[in-house]
This record gives sequence, C-alpha cells and structure tokens, in this order.
Amino acid sequence: MRRLVAALLVLAALGGALGALVGVRADLAEFLPAGRSPASAFLFRELQSGAATTLLLAGIEGAEPAELARVSRETAAGLRASGRFDFVGDGTVTIDEGEQALLFRYRYLLSPETQPEAFSAAALRPKLEALLEGLRSAASPLLARFGFADPTGAFLGLARAFLAESRLEVRDGAWFAREGPPRALLIARARGGAGLDAEAQGQAVATFRTAFEAARPGGARLLLSGPGVFASEAARSIRADVRLITLASGGLLAAFLLWRYRSLLLLGLVAVPLAAGTIAGFAVTALVFGGKVQGIALGFGMTMLGVTVDYPILLASLRRAEEGLDAAARRIWPTLRLAAASAATGLAAMLGSGFPGLVQLGIFAGTGLLVAAATTRWVLPWLVPGARIAARPLPGPIRAALGLLRGRPRLAGGMVLGAGLLLAALGGPSWQRDLAALSPVPREAQALDGELRHQLGAPDVRVLFALGPGTEAEVLAASERLAEAVAPLLGTAPERLQPGRDPPGGPADATGPQGKAASSAPGTGGALDAIDLPSRYLPAEATQRARQSALPSPEAAQAALAEAMAGLPFRPTAFAPFLAALGESRALPPLTAATLAAEAPTLAARLSPLLSRRGEAVQGVALAQGVRDPAALAAVAQRLGDPRILFIDVKAETEGLLDAYGRATLLWALAGGVLVLGLLALGLRSPGRALRVAGPIGGSLLVTLAVLTLLGEALTLFHLASLLLLAGLAIDYSLFLAGDATDDTVGAILNCVVSTLLTFGLLAFCQTPVLHGIGLTVSIGVASAFLLACALAPRPHPHA
Amino acid sequence: MRWVLLLLALATPARAEDPALARLMQGFAAQPRSEARFSEEKAIPELDLPLPSQGTLRWQAPDRLEKHTTSPIDEVLRVEGGRLLYERPDRGIRREFGLDEQPEMRALVEAVRSTLAGDLAVLRHHYEIGFTPERPDAPWRMVLTPLSIRVRAAVQRILVSGRGPQIRSIETEGGGGVTRMQINP
Repeated sequence: MRRLVAALLVLAALGGALGALVGVRADLAEFLPAGRSPASAFLFRELQSGAATTLLLAGIEGAEPAELARVSRETAAGLRASGRFDFVGDGTVTIDEGEQALLFRYRYLLSPETQPEAFSAAALRPKLEALLEGLRSAASPLLARFGFADPTGAFLGLARAFLAESRLEVRDGAWFAREGPPRALLIARARGGAGLDAEAQGQAVATFRTAFEAARPGGARLLLSGPGVFASEAARSIRADVRLITLASGGLLAAFLLWRYRSLLLLGLVAVPLAAGTIAGFAVTALVFGGKVQGIALGFGMTMLGVTVDYPILLASLRRAEEGLDAAARRIWPTLRLAAASAATGLAAMLGSGFPGLVQLGIFAGTGLLVAAATTRWVLPWLVPGARIAARPLPGPIRAALGLLRGRPRLAGGMVLGAGLLLAALGGPSWQRDLAALSPVPREAQALDGELRHQLGAPDVRVLFALGPGTEAEVLAASERLAEAVAPLLGTAPERLQPGRDPPGGPADATGPQGKAASSAPGTGGALDAIDLPSRYLPAEATQRARQSALPSPEAAQAALAEAMAGLPFRPTAFAPFLAALGESRALPPLTAATLAAEAPTLAARLSPLLSRRGEAVQGVALAQGVRDPAALAAVAQRLGDPRILFIDVKAETEGLLDAYGRATLLWALAGGVLVLGLLALGLRSPGRALRVAGPIGGSLLVTLAVLTLLGEALTLFHLASLLLLAGLAIDYSLFLAGDATDDTVGAILNCVVSTLLTFGLLAFCQTPVLHGIGLTVSIGVASAFLLACALAPRPHPHA
Repeated sequence: MRWVLLLLALATPARAEDPALARLMQGFAAQPRSEARFSEEKAIPELDLPLPSQGTLRWQAPDRLEKHTTSPIDEVLRVEGGRLLYERPDRGIRREFGLDEQPEMRALVEAVRSTLAGDLAVLRHHYEIGFTPERPDAPWRMVLTPLSIRVRAAVQRILVSGRGPQIRSIETEGGGGVTRMQINP
C-alpha cells in the first residue's frame, strides 16, 4: 500500500515536470500537413501565418443603438491610440486630409484612365461637358472643389475604389448590422502585415478587450472573432470543456468501480498504468517531435489511453481466489500481451497517414498502451503483492441476460449482416470534406465568425490567386497581368472607374456605395463578380512610369484644353490647377508600398492584406468574389502559365487534401488490420481462432459505421482514429471472451465496457466537434463489440 | 473687483430663446406637408455664366424632403430619415447612402429640412443662427453658419428667408461660389 502511494506520488511529480518542460502547441494549422501541392502549401502557410491571422471582427450588442454607437466609436479610438493596429474600421473611416492629398497628388500615376489619348482635345471635350453637367447637378459642391484640378475625374474614381465598404449602414458614426437586433460592427487589422504568431494574436485580442472596457460599455456585450480569438480564447474554452468532462467522467468511473469492487485500492491500481502510459507517451512524442507536442494530439491521446484502465481491472477481476496478484498477472499475460500488442499495431496505422497530428497521436497512444500493459504485468503485483480485490457477482438479471446472449453466432451474424445491408442502403459512410469540421473551434464560435463576416462584408475566401513570391514590382506586375486576363470573365470591365460615362452624377461619388472597382451587378453572366487585386490599389512601378510618359507636355496640354473648352462657359484660367498638376505628376517618383504605408496608413490598410513581405520576398494574393465558374478561373491561370500566378480553389484544395489523407489513413488502417490478424494468428497459433477473435472486431466496426451514418455523422480523420482505438478495445474483449469464459470473465469484461462507456459516453455530449465525434464512435463501438463478443463466445458450462 | 465680474457673469442670461424665431418654428411645425416650384442659379467662379435649373420641392412631415429638378436635367434628391436617395432616371442611376457618411450633405439637408419641420434643436445642432424677424416691408431672414469646421470648409454660410411659415429663398455660399434658390409656393 505504501509502495502504491509512493508510486502515485512519483508519477505525479514526473508528469508535472514533463508538463513544465515540454511546450504544447495549440493551433490547428500545425496539426495539419504541410501540403503536397504548391497550392496547398501556400494555403496552409497563409492559414498559419498569413495576413488573415491579423484580422479581428467584432460586434457590440445589448444596448440602445445610440449607446452602441458611442461604445463602438470610443473602442475604435482606443484601438487607434494603442498603436497595435494598422487599420481600425468602425464607420468613421474617411480619408483624412493628408491621405486625400497623397491620393490627389498621385492621381495620374494611380488611375488606370491615364493613357496618352486621354489628354487629347477629343477625349477632354466630353469630360468637360460631363463636368459642366455635373456642376448643374446635386453633386456640384464636390465637383466645384475637385473638378477644375481634375476634370477627368481620376481622383474621385480612386477615392471610391479605396473606400470600398461604405455599403454598411452607418448610424451615429458607427457601422451597424443591417438585419437582426441592433449590433455595432468593428473590424481591426493588427500590426504585422505578414501574419502573427499565437502570442501576438493573443496580445491583439487583449488590447481589443481593454479598449472595449475603457469605453465604459455598461450593459453592452462584445462579441469578438477572428483567427486570433480562435487561437487564444477558443483553445482555452476547449481546455475547460475537456477538464470538466475529465473530472465528471473520472468521478463517475470512481463511483462505479467502488460500487463494483468495494475497494479504494483498486482505484489506485487503475491510476498507475494510466499515468505511466500517459507520461511515457508524452515523453516519447516530445522526444520524436523536437520538444513540442500538439495540443490536440495530447488531449486526444490522453483520452485514448483511458482504455488502459481495462488492464488493471482485468488483472484484479480475473485473479482466482487462491492466487496472488503476481501469479494472476503471469497467467493472463499471454492474452494481455497479445491484446496490447495488437491494439498498438492497429494504432501504428496512423504513423503511415502522413498527417502530422495523427502521427503524433499514433506514437503517443501506441507507446502509452504498451507501457500501461507492461506496468500492469510487472509493476502492479510488486506495488501491492497481497492485494485481495474481488468484484461483486453480477446482479442476477444481468447475468441471466448475458447467459442467454452467449453462444448465438447466428444472432451476431445477423446483426453484422443487417449493419452491412443498412450501410449499403445508406450509400456507405459519408466522408467529412469540410476543414472547419476538423477545427477544434466550437460550432457557436464558428457560426459567430461566419455571421460577423457576412455582416461586415468581409471576403469569404473561397477562390484566390497566389501572386509571387518576388520583388514588389514583380508581384504587382503579375497582379496586373492577372487583372487583364480575368477582365473578360467579369460582368463588366475591371478597374474601370468611369467618371466619363457615368458622370460624377451623385454626391454618392465621394464615398459612393459602388465601391468595388471591379464590381458588377451579380447575375450578369460572368464567371465571377469581382476580384480584389493588390495592383488595384498600387500599380506596378513600370505601369506608373508608363503613365507618367503618357502625360502630355504643358504646351500640348494647354493646346488640347483650349480646343476642348471652345464654346463652353469655362473661364480661360479655370483649369490652371489641372495643367500644373500634369507637370507635377511627370516629375513624381513612383509610389511604393512603403511610401503609402508611411503617408497614408488608412489607404495602406487596403493594400496590406493583399501584399505582404516575407523576409526578402513579397507575396501577393488576389481574392475572387461571387465566383460562379471556378473552372474558368483555373483555365485563366493555366493559360497564363505564369510562374508567379497560382490558382487556388480553397474548398476544392482542402477537400482534395482531406480526401487524400482520408484514403491514405484508410489504406493504412486496412494494412494494420491485416497485420493485427497475422499477429493474432501467431499468438493464438491458429488462423481459425484468429478469425474467430477478429470476427467481433470487424463486426463492431461495421455496426459502428452503420450507426454513425444513420445518425448523419460525416466521418473525419478523428472518427477513423477512433475506429482504430475501438479495434484495440474490441481485441481485449474478444480475446478474453474467446476462451472458456466464466461468468467472472464476462463480469470483468462488462466492468471494462461500462468504464469505457462512462468515459467516452460523456465526450459525445461535448460541443467541440472533434471530441463529440470520438465520444460517439467509441461508445457505439464498445457496446456493439461487447455484445458481438458475447454472442460469439461459447455457451457457458451449466455450473461455471 | 473679482466679485463684480462674477456678479456680471451671473447676470448675463445664458442664451435667450428668440420668441419670434420660436413662433416661426411653431408655424412651420403646424404644416405637415407642402409643395412648391423652385428656380435655382449657381454662380461658380470658374464659369462665365451662372447655371440655372428648375423643379419642385416637396415636404412631408416628419422627415421626408424631395428636390426634383426637371430642367435642364432630370434628377431626384430625396431624404427620408437618415438615408439619402439620388436618382437620374434618364441614365438609370439610383444611389442610396447614409447621411451620416456625408457631414457636408447632412448640414445642407438640415438647413432646409429642420426649418420645414420647425425643429429648432436640430438646426442649432448644425448651425449658429442669426435671426431677423419679419417686417411688413421685408421677409424674415436666418443666417446659418455651420458649427463644424469640416462643413465650413465646403459651405461658409446659408441665408434662408421667407414670409410666414414659407421659405422664399435660400442662398448658399461656399468655395467662392453662390447658389441662389427662389421658391414660389
């Protein structure tokens, strides 16, 4: 007894030290493979550290709209003052005077309208007529201010392109959601254009919360979302979820074992192999993976090792009255050894999956299983040599029911056949192809993110092009080539800021609702609605220089203007500011991302998510919106054959990736199954007996798949891993029940089954998709495996 | 000496409400709807000639104001609550946006709308008001100076005048130009 307590203390100390030494990684991206194609490699790098990681979306609700607007404005002011954010959007976004001046100064270098022929008398004439007509309209104050320095409308077109999201409703200087209860909306981009690590993300989230609290929110609530929130806060809530489940299931398990065995000693015995296995698994995984263990692998691995409570329970229950624990351990060891080795072999299938998270899991659980079995064989008898623990006999009705079930192979066969037919009728198991379902982020958090994204009009990234890597000039040039190639697929021509055709008619032109440069009415038959390109905001250096050389000389401009003005009521000096601006524009150094960031941070914030610096190289991204025909876009990229333009269909890419890994895992699982069969045949010295032992295992897998499919669960990699775990458990039951099983054996196995159900059954009620999937799979599987193994077990001797 | 100053400060009335202005506003508030023809001339320093236009103004309490220009171009500018709608039927242009996004436009709208609504509080929110009551030989006049510096950069002064609860003319000065609108009920 003293040895047992000492052992538990040593294990606790070891576990604590290991936990402090080894770092646990929390982000899903690290759990995922690095990607096999260039497209998936880019995608996962973006997920891990791309510009998307800097985005925070927020809603404020639970008060009167006016109060919400105040809190929103003050929160935004606090965020801007913190200096941690590149961009804060809250509805008060306007281009301030300084930024306006920069845009105005560079208008002829930035505007796609700058062409040599645009400054001929013939081209200027309609512009001047349109200006005159605009001056008659309600927009005259605006045009009187800008029109004479910019009669071609280059500046207003640019301003409109930059202020893209004024489609949102503004009340009292704050953005509001159009539908639902009043909710003020904010969007913020944390500093660090090329992406943030988890720690910096956490700091940005904390800054946001502080700014909100400083705005004296009263009863208003802050809803915050974005990758940073997922990484820091969702992970914490999952940990809390797991801890609660662990405590609850631990309590239930302890109560059950106490009821069955009336022995505190047994609880100690159960804890030792579990703790030893967990610590060994953790240590080996950390050793293999350079000192880091993925959080999901750790959590899931520990859950999987919950099955090792079976070993001490079997040891204690199967001890015969006259035996010592050591003798019992020696007697059951061949079976126990075979069971543990087979289960570990099954888990080894995960090593071949190529999915880093699953490989970690396989190593963790496999090592843990073997160590727990060894601990049960050699350590437990030494810790409590004189232990006399015996289970209570099973209650009569249960024993009678189990007795009736035994020796009915036809019943078992019918059950498996039925499951197979059901599965066939349902069209086989459905495979989860959505990456979000693998995410450890709870569903509500994902739903909130989707809702805020929708309300804020943030792009829902489905189809994108990766541009580069290369120098800034090269990436922007690639972006321009793409713009040209995609243009025919848009509903209307891209990047046409049409001050001539659609004269600056309304006051809306200042920050008009038609923000997207390349937008068109949906449904005009194009392959896509719009594409957001870095070159839309910042043309390549070569393009800017070409535009400079397209500008006319002062004399030529003067002459063209005089001809165009003939007969119109403009005073001769009216356009002096325009002529001066043309001269100034020819001498400007081309605008770069660095200048834009330094002089116009609000404008730069438009560009930064699309153009980021990674060390020496620059990486661009183009986001397509309202895509109706992804194949047409893929064809564009293929036709271009440009090494700096890569088409990525995010959904297809992740689906393909998950499919590939699913298939690989399935193949490896099959291979593992064959290996296990071989091992069983070797251990049992008879292929026939091996098949009989394997029967309930295969059968329970089939039944589980059928039930899961019937419940509408789409299978993920985690379900597959759970099935492997299940196979490991079923081996125990099958092996121990296959021999001349006494009622005691059946009772011992039943205790194991109930213990497992108590642990995994609770997981099925978890909100985290992964944990829910594991819990459900194992619970169904364990119950069916036990029933099948019972039915296949020989009928008991009359007086056993 | 300091005591005297303090007493003087206390003796000064905060800002006496002009009873004539208040009465005028009550008169406007009592009219839930009105319609009138207008003619407008914009004088812009860069142009040789003023630009004329004509159309109708419609008011419907509590907050709907429409300016329909019929000549020389056909355009509709309609505000209702916080939304502004701009339409050019001949070109199929229709745009809607929030007044809050456009402080200059909001100020211009409220100069007319809150006067028609008889809402002195809103008017004072945007403008400093210099009021001259009506006399038999002269209409009443309101000189509105925008309080916001941003708005003042675009619109320096608005002069509204009328007879009884009817606006007769609006003169808007901004950016070196003047727009004069005559309203004929």
